[in-house]
Amino acid sequence: MNIVLIIFQLAIVVLGPIYMIGIINRVKSLWAGRRGPRLNQSWFDLLRLLRKTPVYSVVTSWIFPLAPIVILASTITASLFVPLVPGFAPYSFTGDFVAFLYLLGLGKVFLMLGALDTGSAFEGMGASREATYAALAEPVIMLTLGTLILASGHMSFSDLVIPQTDMVTSISIRIALAAVMFIVLLIETSRVPADDPTTHLELTMVHEVMILDHSGPELAIVQYAAGIKMVLLAGLISALLNPFSFQQLPVVAMLVSLTLIALVAVLVGLTESLTARLRFRAIPLFTFAAFLISMICLVLVHSSQGTVQ
Amino acid sequence: MNLLYAGTMTLGIGAILSIALPANRLRVGANLVAQFLACVLVLSAVLPVLFGGEVLVSTLAWSYPVERIDFEINSVSAFFLAFSLPMTFLGSIYAVGYMKNDIASKRHVGVHFALLAMVQVSYLIIYSVQNSFAFLVGWEIAALSAWLLVIWDHRNQKIRFAGFNYLISTHLSLLFLVSAFTVVHGVTNSFQFADFVPFFQKPSIQRSIAFVLFLTSFGLKSAFFPFHTWLPRAHSAAPAHVSALMSGVIHKAGLFGVVKIILMMGEPELWMGWTLLAVSSISAFMGILYTLVQRDIKRLLGYSSTENVGIVGIGFGLGCLGLTLHQPTMAALGFGGGLLHILNHALFKCLLFYGAGSIYRFTHTIDLEKMGGLLKVMKWTGPLFLLGSLASAALPPFNAFISEFLIYAGLLQSTPELKIGQMALPLFAALLAFVGGLSAMSITRAFGLMFLGVPRDPDYAGDHSKENVWMIVPMVLHLIGIVIVGLVPMLALRLVQAPAGMMLGDKNITTEKWMGLMPASMLQSVTFVVLTFVVVLAVLLVARFMLLPKSNRRHVTWGCGYTMPNARMQYSGSSFSFPMVAVFRDILKFWTKEDLPKGVFPKDGSYSTNCVDSVEHSTFQFLNRGERIIQKGLLRIPESMGFSFGIGFVGLIVLVTLVLCK
Repeated sequence: MNIVLIIFQLAIVVLGPIYMIGIINRVKSLWAGRRGPRLNQSWFDLLRLLRKTPVYSVVTSWIFPLAPIVILASTITASLFVPLVPGFAPYSFTGDFVAFLYLLGLGKVFLMLGALDTGSAFEGMGASREATYAALAEPVIMLTLGTLILASGHMSFSDLVIPQTDMVTSISIRIALAAVMFIVLLIETSRVPADDPTTHLELTMVHEVMILDHSGPELAIVQYAAGIKMVLLAGLISALLNPFSFQQLPVVAMLVSLTLIALVAVLVGLTESLTARLRFRAIPLFTFAAFLISMICLVLVHSSQGTVQ
Repeated sequence: MNLLYAGTMTLGIGAILSIALPANRLRVGANLVAQFLACVLVLSAVLPVLFGGEVLVSTLAWSYPVERIDFEINSVSAFFLAFSLPMTFLGSIYAVGYMKNDIASKRHVGVHFALLAMVQVSYLIIYSVQNSFAFLVGWEIAALSAWLLVIWDHRNQKIRFAGFNYLISTHLSLLFLVSAFTVVHGVTNSFQFADFVPFFQKPSIQRSIAFVLFLTSFGLKSAFFPFHTWLPRAHSAAPAHVSALMSGVIHKAGLFGVVKIILMMGEPELWMGWTLLAVSSISAFMGILYTLVQRDIKRLLGYSSTENVGIVGIGFGLGCLGLTLHQPTMAALGFGGGLLHILNHALFKCLLFYGAGSIYRFTHTIDLEKMGGLLKVMKWTGPLFLLGSLASAALPPFNAFISEFLIYAGLLQSTPELKIGQMALPLFAALLAFVGGLSAMSITRAFGLMFLGVPRDPDYAGDHSKENVWMIVPMVLHLIGIVIVGLVPMLALRLVQAPAGMMLGDKNITTEKWMGLMPASMLQSVTFVVLTFVVVLAVLLVARFMLLPKSNRRHVTWGCGYTMPNARMQYSGSSFSFPMVAVFRDILKFWTKEDLPKGVFPKDGSYSTNCVDSVEHSTFQFLNRGERIIQKGLLRIPESMGFSFGIGFVGLIVLVTLVLCK
C-alpha cells in the first residue's frame, strides 16, 4: 500500500502545480465570463520556457543561475514530509515540520538573493516585501503546528493530522486551523489579497517582480517550484480536513484528498475574483488575524483537554 | 591536569616572548608557536574528559584569605575549553593577515598578541577554577585583555569611547558578580564552589537573590537584552578578529556562568526556568530586530550575537523547566540544543566577523550602503560569507539548523505537567520561528547589499590586491566545522553528550541513554533530510547544466523602460528593511534629520534617518537628567540647622544599633 501512496504523492507533487494553476485560472475566467485557457496550459508554458535560451543581466553573478535550482531542490525535499493523505507522508519523523519550514525558508532566501543579484530597484523592492511577509507568516505556521501538536500529542506532520471526529470542538478547531493555513497559503504563494500575480505594474508586485530578469529555464524552474509550494500547502489543508485516514479507507482517503486540493484551488480562484488586493500596510494585520485565530484554537485545545482529564 | 599547567605556562612564556623579542615578526612567530603548543597540550588533556573520561582535579595551596584553590575539569569545562582555545588560536592566525601593515610598521604588535595569549589564560582559569576569588581574577583578566584588544586603534576618539563603554559595562557585570558571591558567602561562609552546592540545592530567599544577581551579571557579560548596549559599539570599534573572538568565544563565559549556576542548583525552581525563557526570547527578538536597521556590518553582527545568546538562553530555560518538572527528554533537548548552539554560534559568528574584516581591508569601509558587487571581486570571502550567513539564519544543511531543531523539538514536547504553561511553549516556538524569519531577512539584506548588484559608491578605495591567505585559512577552517556539524549531527550530539548529561544530573551518561532521551530516531532522520537535500541539489544542478540550454547572452537589467539607470538607484538597505521596520516603528527609535528642498529655486536638500538603540538612548537621557533630578531633590531639603541635626541623629542611632546587634 505504501508504494501506491508514494506514487500517488509523487504524482500530485509533479502534476499538481500544473493543474492547480489551471483550475485557478479557469475559475477566474469563468467568473469573468470568459472560457479561459486549458487546464494543462501551464504545462505547455513550462515546456516552451525550458527550450528557450536564457538571457542574463550583465550585473548578475553565479548566484543568479544557482538560485532557482536551490529553490527547486529545497521545495522537492520539503515535499517528502507533507502528508497529502492524513496519516501518511513518504518520510516522517519527529519534528519534520521544522525541517519543512526551514527548507522552504532556504528557498525563499535564494529567491531573494537571485532578485538582489540583478541590482534592480524593483527586484530589491520585491525581495524586501517577500522577506517581510514570509517572516510574518512564519510564526503563524509554527503556532498552528504547535496547536495541532497539543491536540494530537504527536510531533510529526503525518500524525498531526489524524482526524478525530469524536468531538465538535475538534472539528471546529480543524476548520479554523484550515482557514489559518488558507491565509498562509495566500500569503506564501503570492495570491490576492496578499499579492496579485497578474498585475501590470512592477511597483505593485511581490513574487513576480522578483523574477523580472529570469528567463528561459530559470523562469520555468522558479515558477514550477512556486507551484509545488502551493500544492504542498493545499495538501496540508486537505489533510487537515480529510475525515478519512489511509489506514481505514485508503482509496477513499486519496480521492477525498484530491478533491479537497482541487477545492482549495477553486477557493483561491474565487478569492482572486471576488476580493481586491490589500494595501501592503494591511498585510501584517492580515497575518496577525491568522495568528489570533491560531491562538484562540490553542486556548480551546488546552481547555478541552482540561475537561477530558 | 599537569598538561593544563604546562599549557598555561606555555601561554605565559609566549606572552612574555612576544613582548620581549626585538622584531615584530619574531614576536608574532613566538606567540603563534606558544599558542599552538598550548592548544595541543590543553586539547590532549581536555578531549578525553569531553568524551567521558575521568574528571581532572587538582589543588593549589594559596596564602590567606584564599587558602586553597581547587581546579576541576569536568565535561562542561572541557566542552568550553575544547572550542575556546583553538578558535582563539585561529583568531591569532587571522590577526597576522589583518594586521599585516601594523606588523610591517614600527609599532610594537607583540602587545596585541600577548593579550590574545592572556585571553587564553583567562579561559583556563574561568572554566576550571572552583574558587570564587580565583574566578573573579580570571574574569577580570578576560575583561581587561578584551578591553585593551578593543582599543588597539586608540588614536581614534570613537574607539576610545567604545572601549570605555565596554570597560564600564564589564565592570558593572563584575559588580553584580561580586555582590552575588558576597550573598553566597554570607550564607555559606566560604569561597569554595564545593561548599556552595548545599546552599544552592535548597530553595531560599537568598538563593533567589543570588540567582537574579548572577543572571544579571552573566547577562551583562553575554550581552542579553537590555544589557547589550556596549556590544555593538565595542564590536564595530575593535579589529575584526577581536570582535570575532569577543562575540564568539570570550563572552561565552557568561553562558558558562549560567550553566555553572544551574549545575550547582541541580533542580531550579519553576520561576527560574520561565524567567530565563522570557529574558532570552526578548533578547533573541530585540537582537534580530536591531540587525535589520544597521548600516555598519560589524554592528549588525554584534546585534546578531544578542540574538544568538537569546536562542541559547531559550534552550537553557527549557532545560531548567525540564529539570524542575522531571522531564528528562525536555531537559536533554533544551540543554543539548543550547550547548550545541554555543558551539555553532562561535563557528559561524567568527567566520562572519572574519569575512567583515576581509571586506573592510578590501574596501576600507564597513558601511553596507556603500558596497555592492563584491562577489565578483572577492572570490574567497564571498562564498564563505554566504555560507556563514546561511548558517546564521539556521537554514539547512548547516550547523545552527541542528541546534535550533533540538530547541524546537523541546519547545513543542507535550508536557501536561506544565498545566497552563503548556500553552506558553508553542508561543515561544512561534517567536523563535519569527526570529528565524527575521534573521533570514537580515542576512539576505546584508549579503545582498555587500556582495550582489554593483558598487553603490564607485569611489571607495578598494585595494584590489589578492585576498590574504592568513585571513582566508581560518575562515575555511570555520566553514569546515559548520558543514561537519550540519551534515553529521550525530557527531555534534556526541560532543554535547557528556556536558548535557552532567546538567541532567547523570555524570557518566552512556550514548544509548543519551540517544534514548531524544525523540525516536530524530537525528538520523535529520541527517537523512540534510543529505537528501544535498543529493537532490546536486542532481538538479547537473541536470540543469547538462540538459537545458545554457547561454552567455547578456543584457542590461530590466529597468521598466528607464534607460539611464545608475548604481545609486539600486535598492538600499534602509528601504529593504522598511516594510518590517514599519511594523515595529513603536519599538525602534528613529532620529530623522531633514532639510528638504523648498521654494521655487531649491538648493540641495538632504534627509537622513538613523535608528538609535532605544535602551542606550534612554539610559543616556536618564543620566543627563540625573543631575537635575538630584538637584531638585536637594532643593526640597529644608535648610534649617535643626533638620540636619535631626537627620544626623537618626543616622547615628541606626549605626549604633547595627553595631550593637552584630
